[in-house]
Amino acid sequence: MRDLKAVGKKFVHVMYPKKSSALLRDWDLWGPLVLCVSLALMLQGGSADSKDDGGPQFAEVFVIIWFGAVVITLNSKLLGGTISFFQSLCVLGYCVLPLTVAMLVCRLVLLAGSGTVSFIIRLIVVVAMFGWSTLASTAFLADSQPPNRKALVVYPIFLFYFVISWMILTFTPQ
Amino acid sequence: MVGQDSSDDIEDVSLFDADDDVSRRSKKSKIRHPVASFFHLFFRVSAIVVYLLCELLTSSFIACMVTIILLLSCDFWAVKNVTGRLMVGLRWWNQVDDDGRSHWVFEARKVSAQGSKTSSEAESRIFWLGLITCPMIWVIFAFSALFSFKVKWLAVVVMGVVLQGANLYGYIRCKVGSRKNLTSMATNYLGKQFLRQVSFPGFWKPSSHTCFYPSASLLPGL
Repeated sequence: MRDLKAVGKKFVHVMYPKKSSALLRDWDLWGPLVLCVSLALMLQGGSADSKDDGGPQFAEVFVIIWFGAVVITLNSKLLGGTISFFQSLCVLGYCVLPLTVAMLVCRLVLLAGSGTVSFIIRLIVVVAMFGWSTLASTAFLADSQPPNRKALVVYPIFLFYFVISWMILTFTPQ
Repeated sequence: MVGQDSSDDIEDVSLFDADDDVSRRSKKSKIRHPVASFFHLFFRVSAIVVYLLCELLTSSFIACMVTIILLLSCDFWAVKNVTGRLMVGLRWWNQVDDDGRSHWVFEARKVSAQGSKTSSEAESRIFWLGLITCPMIWVIFAFSALFSFKVKWLAVVVMGVVLQGANLYGYIRCKVGSRKNLTSMATNYLGKQFLRQVSFPGFWKPSSHTCFYPSASLLPGL
């Protein structure tokens, strides 16, 4: 269907971030929703109080991702950006894809074992994907800002993906 | 003899009117897109039902939450892209120009002269009923979750309010056009309601079995 193909095309654009209009012009929020739900599902059940069966963590991840994206968008709009609200949300949501891939890899590595070697592997994978996410989103978002404000826009994006990467890296299954 | 003829005439007139009423009623109450109407209500109502019964159905909070999120997103997509267009002839979307500015477009389908493409009343009623009551129910859920401190459900409820409220707002903007059309639309609607009450069931007998009543009373000799 038309919408599914559009979502798939955007995923491809995130993996190879050239300056394309597909991500910016025809925004949609289905991809970010799918990524958010799958990331939250993979991150649940990973902390000390398992009596709540991972309930609060699911909602936490959801809220952190969406609230963080909204705050970054507001920040970039207040700094005078030319990009619209939903376009910015779309880009930020789609650029969570590399981190979702990192989460998948981490879970597979943790199935094998949870020693120092697995931690080093996970660290490398997560740092690489974090860098990819940040570079992809700044490639799309930073162009809409005047040049002396680029750092002010890039810093919250960096922080946002850093928090998500931290959640992924410190995930230990029960 | 003369009385018989006149009673036949009156019967014929009444039957003819009953026929006309039946066809008018069938055009108004025929549902042209039963699948769309069903899905319009199905996703919304099942999201509400799952939210209410989640504690009974399964002990896993996450399964409930994911199910409700899936149902809400399916409902948003279906109502925005399919059922609004089919049932009431309205659509709305966001368009980004070449120079990067985005604006929202609201459109309503023009009513054609022969009236064959007009939407039926029953479909329109189903559409607006579903569209208006469900966001109100989600707002009630939001307040109840807030005041009973069940904060973990707040994310789902807020999502429900936002998605269904967005569809409601979009379709109301489509219907109303711009702000200053609202009063003229309201007066038109009230005027049409008034005319319908006056002309429709007051003078004609709606079904065939009661048409003998006035003919009997009009001809007391028989």
